[in-house]
Amino acid sequence: MTGRHAPLAGLRVADFTWVWAGPFCTLQLAHLGAEVIRVETATRICVTRLLPPYPRDMEFGPNRSGYFNQYNQGKKSLTLDLKRPEAVAIARRLCAASDVVVENFAAGVMDRMGLGYEVLRAVRPDLVMIALSGYGATGPDRDKVSYGPAQVPLSGLSSVTGYRDWPPMHVGISYGDPTGGLHGAVAVLAALLHRARTGEGQYVDLSQWESSMTVLPEAVVSWTMNGVAPPRDGNRDAHMAPHGIFRAAGDDRWIAIAIEDDAAWARFARCLGRPELGDDARFATLVARKRHEDELETLVTEWTRERSPEAATAELQAAGIAAFTAATNRDVAEDPHLAAREFFVELPHPEVGARRHIGVPWRMSASDCRVRRAAPCLGADTDQVLREACGYSDAEIAGLRARQVLV
Amino acid sequence: MRGALDGLRVLEIGELVSAPYAAKLLADLGAEVVKIEPPAGDPARRRGPFPGGTPHAEKSGLFLYLNANKRGITLDLASAAGREALDRLVAGADLLVHNVHPLDMAACGLDYARLATLNPRLVMTSIAPFGLAGPHAGYRGCDVVTWSAGGVAALNGAPGEPDLPPLKTFGDQSGFQAALTATVGSLGALFARLTTGRGEHVEVSAQECVAAILELTFEYWPYTGLVASRLGQKPIQPLCFMECRDGWIFLCAIEEHQWERFVDIMGNPEWAGLELFANRLTRGANFDALQALLQEWCRDQSVQELYEAAQRRRIPFAPVSTMGDLVASPHLRARGFFVTVEHPAAGPVTMPGAPYKLSATPWQLRRPAPCLGQHTAEVLAEVGLDTVAVGGAA
Repeated sequence: MTGRHAPLAGLRVADFTWVWAGPFCTLQLAHLGAEVIRVETATRICVTRLLPPYPRDMEFGPNRSGYFNQYNQGKKSLTLDLKRPEAVAIARRLCAASDVVVENFAAGVMDRMGLGYEVLRAVRPDLVMIALSGYGATGPDRDKVSYGPAQVPLSGLSSVTGYRDWPPMHVGISYGDPTGGLHGAVAVLAALLHRARTGEGQYVDLSQWESSMTVLPEAVVSWTMNGVAPPRDGNRDAHMAPHGIFRAAGDDRWIAIAIEDDAAWARFARCLGRPELGDDARFATLVARKRHEDELETLVTEWTRERSPEAATAELQAAGIAAFTAATNRDVAEDPHLAAREFFVELPHPEVGARRHIGVPWRMSASDCRVRRAAPCLGADTDQVLREACGYSDAEIAGLRARQVLV
Repeated sequence: MRGALDGLRVLEIGELVSAPYAAKLLADLGAEVVKIEPPAGDPARRRGPFPGGTPHAEKSGLFLYLNANKRGITLDLASAAGREALDRLVAGADLLVHNVHPLDMAACGLDYARLATLNPRLVMTSIAPFGLAGPHAGYRGCDVVTWSAGGVAALNGAPGEPDLPPLKTFGDQSGFQAALTATVGSLGALFARLTTGRGEHVEVSAQECVAAILELTFEYWPYTGLVASRLGQKPIQPLCFMECRDGWIFLCAIEEHQWERFVDIMGNPEWAGLELFANRLTRGANFDALQALLQEWCRDQSVQELYEAAQRRRIPFAPVSTMGDLVASPHLRARGFFVTVEHPAAGPVTMPGAPYKLSATPWQLRRPAPCLGQHTAEVLAEVGLDTVAVGGAA
């Protein structure tokens, strides 16, 4: 990568976030080359450091969680016990030396610690600061508590996701977190571009609840236009049929297939070995296929259940039909296409070794954009950050450590 | 009022969600976006929802939401005249974002090396289902396919129901994730350009964007050799949906103090003291029994009252919001979240608003989505072209 320029080279991010939404925001900034410094403490360890998975052959430990190690790649770790005034003063000095501050505490927590935007902008006037809270920094519900899994139902997504005639369902992940985190990264980058042009910093108030609703426009507008919400309808789609995830050969193996138009249906019928179905009045048009969708899905399943999802995918894609295995975590990790694209990273980590992790989901033809290092062990960069970013001497650092400030 | 991206000139060649949402994020922050549609229009115009359920190319809710704040032109990129017009627009653009399939890019004139000779400062962002390179780059994929290929679909289903398939999430969530990632990459490239003076090509794979949000499940394979399954019960409880007398609520009491306070809200029933439910792990292991008892109690509750009672005790329950609940929420109203856009054909349409509030450069809605070809003559004239000469439908 010599000669390549990292987009955010030279920019420093003071990262007070934990769990997933905030760390996912700062992960994007680390990919782009910012120096992201996690401010953490051993007195209240980040939830994801304490969650599984950790390597099967090792004792559990705060540096061994695959969850933490995935979403904190490329960052540094500074430990500060922010319950102590001396630590808060250090944090303030770090913020003064930073371009961006990111936090996802409950609304008001940073203010109570003496690290609110008004305090920080006094020491760093062009600071870009973002708070990613569950409900936002204002409004009657701002003090409500929010956990990742509860954002999915709160946002409305659960009420429209589910099998037909079944209860509302979840997504399988705490979807509000990455959606909020990515929106946060967009806001920070836009604010940095504005700052580069005008010299002006600003404060961004991001509500995970709101950013989650911005990805549900069809459901919201269906209600505001017509007073009805889309019914839960499994994997079906009003504008495509067949459209679903169908049983394939093997133990709990499935394949997603979407027939995008009538021409694709005719090609699909040839793949099924039933070319006459392309013109069959029951199936030739979308309207007809939607009317006979149960029958149609039976036909599809008769074909898919005899084939592995990989074989069926290859055959259908060769005919220009949108299809792919419903991939498990193992399928993703072993996907030859993703490997050929060098999507995965396996960087050395002092405790868990080089494990396969997800890399950067975009590529840049000129810039240096990549995972620069494995996730940090707790407090691994404390001395270096205090010296280089905050200007403390080795003697001062030793004193702070002796007074238990750096834990 | 100023926007953070005032003066940024963006071209979008986008269908449905991914490239259009990326360009919308930029437009709402102040960028000047020109959306280029084929003469038949973006297929989002055919997706709805429509007022009264009657299809109309200017009244699709999805299209009106994704394309507000943009000017719209039509160009037939299958024709040489259409591609020449695109070249002229590219010469004056900062960013071109598109989701033309990789197999169709060359035919539409979308070759970054060539476009960069016209405008070395151009950033071009290409969004494709499986990216532009690699053995599956030519694969087709809409949301159900990429959501599955990235691994999220396989995580969602009903424990104890192995015959129910992995469940897709509502809407085009792969499209939204790819859009967000594409915007991050695009803004990163524009930031790099401040130093280098040159543009570059940004490439986004929807499959990778989905794989990037697998939470803790991806690492189960490299760390433990375990395959994550939608069929497994959650190890800790309660973290579940319950039906109340007037709707559904999501119970989330996974810390012991939260559970104790919830038991108190329930009036300390005798069963809560059973060894079966002593901690979150045993509550997970004995969830069948717990679920029946909780459901019996919840059935008589009101969603809103239980939500408020829990929140007063710092228990992070949430209602399973319906669309009606969201639009009526006093909190969202106080924050001004929903916005109403007056559109010449569709009339007033209320839709989601700002995903974030920027203090100095606020998110803004300046104009409704364009009617098909509404700005063709105006935009082409700005680059010295005559609409008729390029065959654009005005």
